[in-house]
Amino acid sequence: MATLYIPAADTIPVAWGWFQFFLLLTFPLHLLAMNAMLGGLAVGVGQQFIGGSVRDRLAHRLAVALPLVIAFAVNFGVAPLLFLQVLYGQFMYTSSILMGLFWISIVPLLIVAYYGAYLYDFKFSRLGGAGKWIGLAVLLMLLTIAYFFVNNMLLMSLPEAFAGYFQHRAGTMLASGEEVFPPRYLHMVTGALAVGGLFVALVGQFRSEQDGELAAHARDVGMKVFFRLTLVNICLGVWYLLSQERDTMLLFMGGNRGATAVFSLALLVIVVILVAAYRRRLAVTVGSVVLLVYLMSFMRAWLRSDYLAEVFRLDQLAVVPQYSPLIFFLVVLLGGLIVIGWLLKKTAAALVESGASR
Amino acid sequence: MNYPVWYLPEIGGGLLIALIAVLHVFVSHFAVGGGLYLIYAEKKGLREHNDGILAFTKRHARFFLLLTLVFGSITGVGIWFIIALVNPAATSLLIHIFVFGWAVEWVFFLVEIVAAFVYFYMFGKMNPATHLKVGWVYFISAWMSLFLINGIIGFMLTPGSWLENGNFWNGFFNPSFWPSLGLRTFIALMLAGVYGYLTASFCQQREVRLTMTRFSGKWALGALVAALPFAWWYVVVLPEPAQKLVFGTSPTIAAAAQWGAVGAVALLVITLVAGIVRPALNLRSVAALAMVCGLITIGSFEWIREAARRPYAINEVIYSNMIKKEELERITEQGYLQTAVWVEDRQLTDQSRPTAGEELFIQQCYACHTAGGWNNDLKAQTARMSYPAMSSYIKRIHEVRYFMPPFAGTDAEADALAAYLVGSWHGKEEAPAGTENAGEQLFDAQCAACHAPEDLTESLGGLPTGEIVDLLGRLDEISTEMEPFSGSGSEAVALAAFLRVPSGGEEAVAPATPDGEMLFADNCAVCHAPEDVAAVLESWERGAVRAALDDLQAISEEMPPYDGTADEKDALTDYLIDLGRNP
Repeated sequence: MATLYIPAADTIPVAWGWFQFFLLLTFPLHLLAMNAMLGGLAVGVGQQFIGGSVRDRLAHRLAVALPLVIAFAVNFGVAPLLFLQVLYGQFMYTSSILMGLFWISIVPLLIVAYYGAYLYDFKFSRLGGAGKWIGLAVLLMLLTIAYFFVNNMLLMSLPEAFAGYFQHRAGTMLASGEEVFPPRYLHMVTGALAVGGLFVALVGQFRSEQDGELAAHARDVGMKVFFRLTLVNICLGVWYLLSQERDTMLLFMGGNRGATAVFSLALLVIVVILVAAYRRRLAVTVGSVVLLVYLMSFMRAWLRSDYLAEVFRLDQLAVVPQYSPLIFFLVVLLGGLIVIGWLLKKTAAALVESGASR
Repeated sequence: MNYPVWYLPEIGGGLLIALIAVLHVFVSHFAVGGGLYLIYAEKKGLREHNDGILAFTKRHARFFLLLTLVFGSITGVGIWFIIALVNPAATSLLIHIFVFGWAVEWVFFLVEIVAAFVYFYMFGKMNPATHLKVGWVYFISAWMSLFLINGIIGFMLTPGSWLENGNFWNGFFNPSFWPSLGLRTFIALMLAGVYGYLTASFCQQREVRLTMTRFSGKWALGALVAALPFAWWYVVVLPEPAQKLVFGTSPTIAAAAQWGAVGAVALLVITLVAGIVRPALNLRSVAALAMVCGLITIGSFEWIREAARRPYAINEVIYSNMIKKEELERITEQGYLQTAVWVEDRQLTDQSRPTAGEELFIQQCYACHTAGGWNNDLKAQTARMSYPAMSSYIKRIHEVRYFMPPFAGTDAEADALAAYLVGSWHGKEEAPAGTENAGEQLFDAQCAACHAPEDLTESLGGLPTGEIVDLLGRLDEISTEMEPFSGSGSEAVALAAFLRVPSGGEEAVAPATPDGEMLFADNCAVCHAPEDVAAVLESWERGAVRAALDDLQAISEEMPPYDGTADEKDALTDYLIDLGRNP
């Protein structure tokens, strides 16, 4: 057996289950915001390329929303990345170094993309036809960032590949040559584009009183995009499942009771989603998609555990107990949510009062 | 050690951290102070019923949003990315010890984002009293982010009683927590004034420009003055080694402090003269200069804080090269190559020596040194060192220069590293230091191709070592087929001693007369170039030089005492005087 290079893990202050809980609670929030960002932008740019008054208006609404969803995609990404590092830091730090050049390039790419998004928003009318090209450039940058993220998340699960460091000390290694990479990336991105369609439909609803035509068009385009891409993504999901090693695949087919149950439930939810989307039932579709994203995240966690099972289990992490900081976090989280609630309430009241919105 | 090293020999990870971190703190402190500035600017506009000031405040809020939410927040994530790439071991410790501190910071970051959006997008569309409350929510959240990060950064410099009990709260509210919090808060307010000053310089309405320039000038000046006592308090609570570094034993810190002082004084003058007294002088170029001064001031503060922590990444816990202090003894006993995870070849043999040396350089030196880059280039720093001097220096590196981590490994590994640094990089002969056959090895490498030892002993046997050393330096005069000996002074002495007594007797390893050049190479060359010393000693009397060697710390606390014999000090004095007279 080849030499394995795996760093020793640091101790954790509370039982690992807490971190897994926070990870699985926050990661789907990041996914939903990221999906709205990527899919919303793709649809907006697509609408602008096709052209026409209502499509331009929809693209404009999506451009206005873009910087906001980027901000939340980033913020909601911070928490799961933190908890992931607590649970799997020894793997994730290593894989990040192996692909260091690509990993750090995410920072400048994201800054440029983010400013591009603000330019696309603030100067939408003045940019005219040039705007769609800026939107496209931002989209390509975000897809590149997704490519690096999927690379790292896969590479960290492949400790047997870590010895490649000695040929890539400058951080030039990627996992995109792995058989499972193409379906994993495509499944993730296609899912994001599909859910982005739902976001488009939702954005349109916020304008239904001022611009009925826009709202109807957004709902039509959004649901259509969601339905079709979800069908494509089911095929990609099957490819992804089949690309796994047999034992891993069988985890979800009876090999592990929990994984099988979640997978079965996810299949059921997909059926509900397809029916609801076909019938243009937006609220049911959105609710089911949120549930599905959570279920998919649970399956992803099982997959990671299985990849690493031979070298690491979460219950091997040593606990040096200190629970008071956890209580501090829970209290602040609750307080923060109350304050955010107050901010949103005051904003909604002011918008109603003034009858104005951007 | 425990993690691989991301190796970019000519760039160095430290430079990447500095680049991202300095720009980030310049914006992130503005993100804190700017929140309060916006509240008071808006209040001023409302109180004076001045639409011009309110329009200015909204414009400034837009600039604030674009700078802090995009550049500020992404470079914040960027610091996390880069420190995890450059020093994953220390980053992992900080993440694991303070995970819930980071998590709380994330909550405040979220509240900050929501409040910033509401504040900007609802400007003029919301009841002013509520809008100001939103501003307060933003400012308090941003300041709480500072509060939390400050605790964790302070822990790295002054872990305090956490070292004994590992308690989260003791680590967080560490000895430098409060002075650092006060200092950073006022720096944040100062920068808010500087940024406001910049926005004011772009203002088209003369009256508003003058009013807000003066307003901004007062902010910056008041905060700058208020920051000073906290800066002093901060220095007072530093641990003794860090204090010594800050108070001048480190020339690089002294230089950074000077830059910081120049930046702060220039800022003081600009805000006073071109802000408060004559606001009409607030041209865009002046405002840009004030921004540069602000960047220099905070940049030098952060640089000094980082540098004062050396040789640790987390004081007394983990060295900057990711080796934990508690593991040092074990590594020294068992060897680095045997104990580290990320080593390709664990055996140290004659064949593997160069690659082992390179591995040791990457793992133990590269954290601070580049190889051929412009930042702290070790290639340039080792160019004038001989192998014995390098080897001896590595073994006592932490004693000689406190801010360098001790070498972690066996003596044989230190020799392999020395051989790599002077041999592989500079083509100098690799010979184990201090062994009795150093002269013989040099002979084998440089003379044996043409000469047998006994042939040369016949002609050189009776000469003093010094004369043979002299001859070695002008071999081309003896025969045009020979090149002058190109080794260091100590190598020349070793070879000369061997030539006098090739069997390798006592005399061969202990030349009767100490050689000043050799002593310089072994004891001084690591920090001083001969030409620099020559320039300093040009006007010195012999007696003064000799006396200085007895008390080097009187010249600089950074210099370790020289523990040579009286004869060696005399010889070194002669060499230094000669160097001063004939550089």
